[in-house]
Amino acid sequence: MTTLVARSVAALGRALLIAVPVLLVSTFITFMLGGLTDQDPASVVLGDSATPADVARMREVFGLDRPLLARYALWLWDALHGDLGASWFTRIPVARSIAERLPVSLSVAAGALLIAVVLGGVFGVLAAVRQGGRLDRAVTVVTSVLATVPGFVAAIALITVFSLLVPVLPSGGWAPASDGLPTWASFLVLPCVALSLDAAADVARQLRTGLADTLHENYVVGARVRGLPGWRIVLVHALRNGAGPAVAVLGMHVPRLIGGAVIVETVFALPGIGELTKTAALGGDVPVVQGALLVTIGVVLVSSALVNVLLVKLRPAARREI
Amino acid sequence: MSVSPDSATAVRTVADAVSEPLLSVRGLRVSVADGTEVVRGVDLDVPRGSAVGLVGESGSGKTLTCRAVLGLLPAGVEVTGGRISLGDTELTALPAARRARLRGTHLAAVFQDPASYLNPSITVGAQLAEVLRVKVGLARRAARERAVELLHAMGLRRPEHVYAQYPFELSGGMLQRVLIAMAITAEPELLIADEATTALDVTVQAEVLELLSELCRDRGLTLMVVSHDLAVIAQLCETVYVFRDGAVVEEGPTRRVLRGPRHPYTRELIRDHERFGIDRVREQGSRR
Amino acid sequence: MRTVTDALRTRAGAIAAAVLAAVLLLAAIGPFLAPYDPLRNGADILMPPSAAHWFGTDYLGRDVLSRVLAGAPASVLTAFEAVGIGLVIGVVPGITSVHLGRAYEWITLRVMDGLIALPFLIFAIAVAALLGNAVHQAMIAVGILLAPSFYRITRAAALSHANAQYVTAAQLFGASTWRVLRTHVWSKILPTLVVSTANATAGGLLIVSSLTFLGIGVVPPEPTWGGIVASDLGYLTQRPYGPVFPSLFIMATVGALNLLADAIRDAGGDHGRARTRGRGGAARVRLT
Repeated sequence: MTTLVARSVAALGRALLIAVPVLLVSTFITFMLGGLTDQDPASVVLGDSATPADVARMREVFGLDRPLLARYALWLWDALHGDLGASWFTRIPVARSIAERLPVSLSVAAGALLIAVVLGGVFGVLAAVRQGGRLDRAVTVVTSVLATVPGFVAAIALITVFSLLVPVLPSGGWAPASDGLPTWASFLVLPCVALSLDAAADVARQLRTGLADTLHENYVVGARVRGLPGWRIVLVHALRNGAGPAVAVLGMHVPRLIGGAVIVETVFALPGIGELTKTAALGGDVPVVQGALLVTIGVVLVSSALVNVLLVKLRPAARREI
Repeated sequence: MSVSPDSATAVRTVADAVSEPLLSVRGLRVSVADGTEVVRGVDLDVPRGSAVGLVGESGSGKTLTCRAVLGLLPAGVEVTGGRISLGDTELTALPAARRARLRGTHLAAVFQDPASYLNPSITVGAQLAEVLRVKVGLARRAARERAVELLHAMGLRRPEHVYAQYPFELSGGMLQRVLIAMAITAEPELLIADEATTALDVTVQAEVLELLSELCRDRGLTLMVVSHDLAVIAQLCETVYVFRDGAVVEEGPTRRVLRGPRHPYTRELIRDHERFGIDRVREQGSRR
Repeated sequence: MRTVTDALRTRAGAIAAAVLAAVLLLAAIGPFLAPYDPLRNGADILMPPSAAHWFGTDYLGRDVLSRVLAGAPASVLTAFEAVGIGLVIGVVPGITSVHLGRAYEWITLRVMDGLIALPFLIFAIAVAALLGNAVHQAMIAVGILLAPSFYRITRAAALSHANAQYVTAAQLFGASTWRVLRTHVWSKILPTLVVSTANATAGGLLIVSSLTFLGIGVVPPEPTWGGIVASDLGYLTQRPYGPVFPSLFIMATVGALNLLADAIRDAGGDHGRARTRGRGGAARVRLT
């Protein structure tokens, strides 16, 4: 058992190592944003009345007099030590603002992921097992329709139904978990469901296709010849090989769950990291935007590394294909 | 070298009297969804403890007959007539779940291309242990120990090592031994070997055939061997059924059929085989 | 492109094409069809649908139908711009990565991996807002986000054709790399690319609608389908059906694009899909 844990940790380490160049590229793109914009803390903060001497001093304070690449290296180095700089406007450390908001965004994203796995899993499996049946056709129609619904429309539809027509859940706002779990959950349910629908539909669709293909494989016949019960064949033997595409798709949805949370945060008035980024970007607060993007990229990379490890765990034969 | 039809019937009647057949198929008909009949009224008997061969070219209905016996016909193919009884149990009348429970414990099967019949993502040992847990009811640890023993009994060296291998890490011969282990682990009465040695090397094929006849002898297993290869049938089976176009065209003791084929198709089969050393087959047939 | 004409002959393909044609027409002439000035406030606020105002009026008394019609170009054409940018950034490196050497391949792979890791909408918002919050900046960001999927698809297709015999043959006859790319590889990739372009346009439309919903790219009061929904958000108690009208336009466009992609894929027998089917078929039970 300990070797199993050790091997998983090692695999995760390898996956994260692969993520290093990705991290460099994506953070560089992010950092370049600040370089490309004509936003400048000196002019932004000091206003139009600033003298050239004031602007020069201000640029020095923020280290903007150095070349871009040197600034990137310094920024990344500081970021790796937990220092993301400070807001140009409020002077509040970026790391602190993010730390305050990250739990909100992560709870919503994690909740949505959980719902997507459960809903997508259940309906995908049922559709595959009853191929061509009524439920299968219903799942196909619902997933196709869901694929056309923008996230904000889903969110608004949920509010309309569960907050206005049948007022059982709050239409927005946030309560920390310390206010009691039921309160916390009641604020979380609608945002999570709204965010999860797209991913749930995709997971159901991929799982249905993947499982339907696997159920025709000889080893399923083999398992039936051995007289194993049907549920066991589907859930142990077929699912293990058929879930690959669904897990991969789930991995692709992780950046959207984290990045797309901004919509849900806007509609449900949640104090999350997306909301922070949006406000900062519209105001031209470059360090906050860069820091928030860096943290979300980090979350994305860690979660896709986890997905890759899970994929190899599911199908050891896939190791040979990589 | 002509044998009258009467004497063949006489031989069967004697065999029936000696032992009640374990498997008895009467008037079996199997059709594809579009109405085409692919098995057209097959009768066959497999006496307890014996080895019976089904021979014929591909498309002759021998595999579908086996599938019908197992209750595992491919989608869109179904039994449209006849009876299949195993011991006292009439199989065609049973609901699917009851038949699933009989598989493994009363009848089992191994096929060609063993690698494809094992889950590629689970170690072979775990798959064998799964059968022991589900069908025999052993606890996790006991199942594991018993699985290693079985792998050893199948003539696999380093069974502990084999246990932890994935199917893609083992050779075809080893995989077929693993599958045979899985098939017999819940002590079925009837084992169906459908082209079980076909794609294997000649030497490996001989070893696997040897293993099968050993199991037959030592464990009192009843064998039903499906093959297009007369040599395999000759080596294992006392009785042979020749299939063509979904029907049995000739049946009888293997030696008799090989020496004095009565149906033109059987003669053709044997003639085709002469190129691959039918003399050897004949010798083996006569030695029995 | 026989595949596309074949697709249009199916019922789903024809419906999808008709809806798309209608939407494109709307994008071209919608603003001229608007019965009222989409920006003019009126005294009758939050009116339900009536003969005078088919979709009712919003919280400033503006005619919703006029806003939906006037918003069509900014809601639809922008998505095409983003997809165009994504195609250029994704397809060119995708094809050339297979043919222009290891170092180039490695760099493009890493850059695309980097782009995939960007957290979708937040990134688009950051780019658009920091670069001046206007349409083209926003579409560049969306294009960048769409590029990796084009890169992956064309690269996979180019890889599968790179070692195909006709390419080798062409090279043997002395065709230059560019010529092979242009005449042979490109024509094989095109059907796959058409399908994924349609899907990506659907995705692009969703992202654009989300951005405009947030007021990024196109700033209110300039009407867009996403923006109209946003302006209804605060008045759900009075007009709970308000978001339905603009949402239906978005959903119909996205749905038509997805439907068209499916129809083309089915008609063309997309290579990837055909291969998985084939594999399933081969692994399926042999009938005899």
